Amino acid sequence: MSDLKKQEQGHSHSPMFDYQPALPISNGKTFMWLFLSTEIMFFAALIGTYIVLRFGAVAWPSTHDVHLAEIWGATNTFVLICSSVTIVLALEAANKNNSQSARGWMVLTLLLGAAFLGIKMYEYNAKFSHGVYPQYPHSQIYEKPDVYYAQAVRMRLNTLKAELENNTERSEVEDAQLAVVDEIAQNLLVPAEKAIRDEPESPAGRVLIFKMADEIYPRASVHEHQVGATHAAAADAASKFTLVATVDGEPRGESEAPHSAHLEGLNDKYPWLKLPIMIPGGNMWASTYFLVTGFHAIHVIVGLIAFVILLTMTLNRANAGVIENVGLYWHFVDLVWIFLFPLLYLF
Amino acid sequence: MSNAMTNEKHDDHHESHGGLGLYIGVFLALCVLTTLSFLTYFDFWRNSVPSNVSRAFMMAVSCTKAMLVIMFFMHLKWEANWKWVLTAPVIVMSALLIFALVPDVGLRFRHASEGRMIFAAERPAITEHAHADGHAEVGQDDPGDHGDHDEYDGHDGESHEQEAEPVRPAA
Repeated sequence: MSDLKKQEQGHSHSPMFDYQPALPISNGKTFMWLFLSTEIMFFAALIGTYIVLRFGAVAWPSTHDVHLAEIWGATNTFVLICSSVTIVLALEAANKNNSQSARGWMVLTLLLGAAFLGIKMYEYNAKFSHGVYPQYPHSQIYEKPDVYYAQAVRMRLNTLKAELENNTERSEVEDAQLAVVDEIAQNLLVPAEKAIRDEPESPAGRVLIFKMADEIYPRASVHEHQVGATHAAAADAASKFTLVATVDGEPRGESEAPHSAHLEGLNDKYPWLKLPIMIPGGNMWASTYFLVTGFHAIHVIVGLIAFVILLTMTLNRANAGVIENVGLYWHFVDLVWIFLFPLLYLF
Repeated sequence: MSNAMTNEKHDDHHESHGGLGLYIGVFLALCVLTTLSFLTYFDFWRNSVPSNVSRAFMMAVSCTKAMLVIMFFMHLKWEANWKWVLTAPVIVMSALLIFALVPDVGLRFRHASEGRMIFAAERPAITEHAHADGHAEVGQDDPGDHGDHDEYDGHDGESHEQEAEPVRPAA
């Protein structure tokens, strides 16, 4: 006891009272980990609410209903994993003071990150081109085949018809467009409207609206169901509405695998139509999908900016700390995608 | 203690923990795991494994991948004990966030109100007979008919097949 006291008083540099930083790491790394801590909570909340909304929803579209291709999600996972490896190797090279090699790995990381964003843009475009938007001014998604949906289709057809008819010098193409508009109204919309008006108590009108919705925007999940079950009904539906084109002239409902079923509706055949579409649960799906992937994409963009800034520096041992911190951030972006991929594409 | 710490700080920049071989090993493991979760997409998997099981499997695979990235790429395996100072509170708070959502899942998953179910029912039941006629009639809860039109549920029709039947005229 007295020995110890003597030691403490005697040596100003006693190990017990030596100054120590709070954490034995650099300020930058401490900050990065604190930041990542908040990020973990941010994405935990986003993913948690996505799960609640997805499993609390009464209706949720299947991935092919909303033109979500699993293979692109898997490709993006692979791309991000590769970029995680390359940035780790960049850090290794920088630690060995091999700045040329570190620069090479960093460029590769930047390219892989850009590839991820490119694939993401391609995927977003696949949704937008089919009228699947998250927001009201653009969204054409209706949740169920009711009178509101029929009304929306009627309004769109009327708008198109008025535009085309007011055009006194119509080209041949526009004449053909007018014919298509009339044909859709006659074959699909009018029967549904009549059925609803004449027999409001019967579901016949809703059935016809459902069929119309299916002609405008055929959903993969509907046609998967028809494969084994009611083949006759599918063939019947196909023969009834000659407007609908199928790829390779193949009758719908015949393709056995869901991923090979490439359905073409009126909106695909005539892109100028832009008719409202019916996807049960589609609006909630679009909101959550674009929110979660959008926030992730923002993080990817920030990462790419960080890579560009790093490339202006000499990537030697002196700057290894910065590379490490950017690397930590990038691995986190990879981590989030590792969870998003199965949740969004495979669940 | 301080000696050990300065050593560590020193080593941080000189000692290479990983090495190319290890990183390639982790990379291959991540690729294999991604392929494993992608397998659940194919028909042979979907036909033989219940969707709940494959979801649990996918989450297990994702957690394994996350641990690989955190341990080896983010170097947490080789860090000193400070890593717990920063990660443990986050783990607790994230877990709390998730647990706070559990009542929502539990209450909403099984018991959707009638109004929501009617809203979600996208089309009335059509009997086989009505199909053949080309004229639709109300299929009054034909038990054999459920499988044909539960597409409002996406992949799994297990939770609310029965309730979604109510048929209301649209007008």
